[in-house]
Amino acid sequence: MSNQHAFRSARLGACVAVALLAGHRLAGQQPPAPPAARTPRAAATSDLTGYWVSVVTEEWRWRMITPPKGDYTSIPLSDEGRRVAFLWDPQTDGSCKAYGAAGLMRMPTRLNISWQSDAVLKVESDAGQQTRLLQFAPTPQPGGRSLQGFSVAEWEPIGGGLAGRGGRAGGPPTPVALKVVTTNLLEGWLRRNGVAYSDATTLTEYWDRVAFPNGDVWLTVSQYVSDPKYLTAEYTTSMHFKRESDGSKWKPAPCRQA
Amino acid sequence: MRRIDPFRLALLAITAAIIASPISAQGPPDSGPPPMVELTGSWAMSNDEERLIRIDPGPELGNFTGFPLNAAGRQKALTWNATIQAVPEHQSRAHAATYSMRGPGPNFHMGEIIDPATRRLMAYTITGLFENANRTIWLDGRPHPSEYAEHLWNGFSTGEWENGALHVTTTHVKPMFIQRNGIPASPYAVMHEFFIRHGDRLLLISQVDDPVYLEEPMVRTSTFRWNPGQREGGLPQVEVAEEVPSLQQGDVPHYPLGSRHPEYADENKLPFEATLGGKETLYPEYAEKLKQLMTKQGPASGGSSK
Repeated sequence: MSNQHAFRSARLGACVAVALLAGHRLAGQQPPAPPAARTPRAAATSDLTGYWVSVVTEEWRWRMITPPKGDYTSIPLSDEGRRVAFLWDPQTDGSCKAYGAAGLMRMPTRLNISWQSDAVLKVESDAGQQTRLLQFAPTPQPGGRSLQGFSVAEWEPIGGGLAGRGGRAGGPPTPVALKVVTTNLLEGWLRRNGVAYSDATTLTEYWDRVAFPNGDVWLTVSQYVSDPKYLTAEYTTSMHFKRESDGSKWKPAPCRQA
Repeated sequence: MRRIDPFRLALLAITAAIIASPISAQGPPDSGPPPMVELTGSWAMSNDEERLIRIDPGPELGNFTGFPLNAAGRQKALTWNATIQAVPEHQSRAHAATYSMRGPGPNFHMGEIIDPATRRLMAYTITGLFENANRTIWLDGRPHPSEYAEHLWNGFSTGEWENGALHVTTTHVKPMFIQRNGIPASPYAVMHEFFIRHGDRLLLISQVDDPVYLEEPMVRTSTFRWNPGQREGGLPQVEVAEEVPSLQQGDVPHYPLGSRHPEYADENKLPFEATLGGKETLYPEYAEKLKQLMTKQGPASGGSSK
């Protein structure tokens, strides 16, 4: 009798242990296995594609027309930058130099943004008919210098990854902004009147999309131009573009080759 | 040896299984509050756009370029006379929220109001604005007051997080201007702002929707840089002085209806009509029209519209 009872007790004890272990193992399954790496296209938390039109509400006099020679108001030009700006020949107005990466976004233009592949965002302008490729996985190394340069893109957590708070693991995905760093640029113009940036320029950009309650959707491109030759400090601007439903107003117009 | 009751042992096993199972069934933790970004601290303006307009000497009389003014807004703007600033009642006047984030400067400090009982963030504050028109952005879900409630220079602002950006809605702003040369804002204007932080940089996207004076909402963008240790300005001017001796008590400086201010257009060799603003003038198509107007106007020694 006592042996039988001891055996039953042992069996039940084993059941308890199994049940506890089972619970433990289930609980131990968290967190789930990490998901497969997503493509840059899939990792976007806002859609930048589509047609956008620049709305010139700032610096109108310097953007809607070609300003007079020597008008470099607001630009932190160095002595060398000033010297180069005064070399500008008004006969070259309309040159493609005004449509390089550090000047293009300030032109009155429309943009057509699309994914060329899962890792390359293509930005086309109708003004000057330029194409920028923003490469998330820049496997090809930069080749020769060009007007649009070599652009390396990444999704950066909004706040810069330094300042976030309040989110929880398993919550909604951390919002990200498009950060682009462009080098390998040919010399170009910050303004159409020949205020130049040099080929040593590094252009850093953030691309943000917001939707206002009236239904308007806007894209803002913030630009930080660092040029050790022609600027004494970083040149900071931000340009805004309104989303259009289609490309019916797209009017390609070439720039003048030098 | 003490005997173990098999029924108690079975009960223990079931209890253990029940306790263990909810832990595993919880799945991912609840989503919690939407992610937010730290915005507190001192922020310094970046003035590489419209520097002379945003600081001093300020925007020129009759320079309405870049503003989607309607006919009423244009008419009111053309009657504005800068001498109004010298009237004693206006000398310490703050800038309304529809303009104060744009200029002069500002360098500002973003602070917090914490609920002393719950320690939850109730509001952000923005201090350092011109003539102390400091702002409070309520984050606790309170509604905006009745449309008949008092209007203030800083208006009434509420905020919520959207996709990593702080979206601020401001109503109840006193009628003033959206540019320091008299481009007006009515008390019916509603302002939406997005504050987006990128590391030590802050982007502010602002939209003023004014059904009285604008053909379409006015959008501007400004950038700031994190600047710890900065001392903000904005202290109130308290001493009122006689600035224009010819001003008599009760005078309201203004230009009469029907006035034109062609000086800005003349000085910059621009067609006068192009300087009057309007929705049409903001879009790329206008560059072509501008070119035609300038050709018609005659050779300009300054710029062209190519």
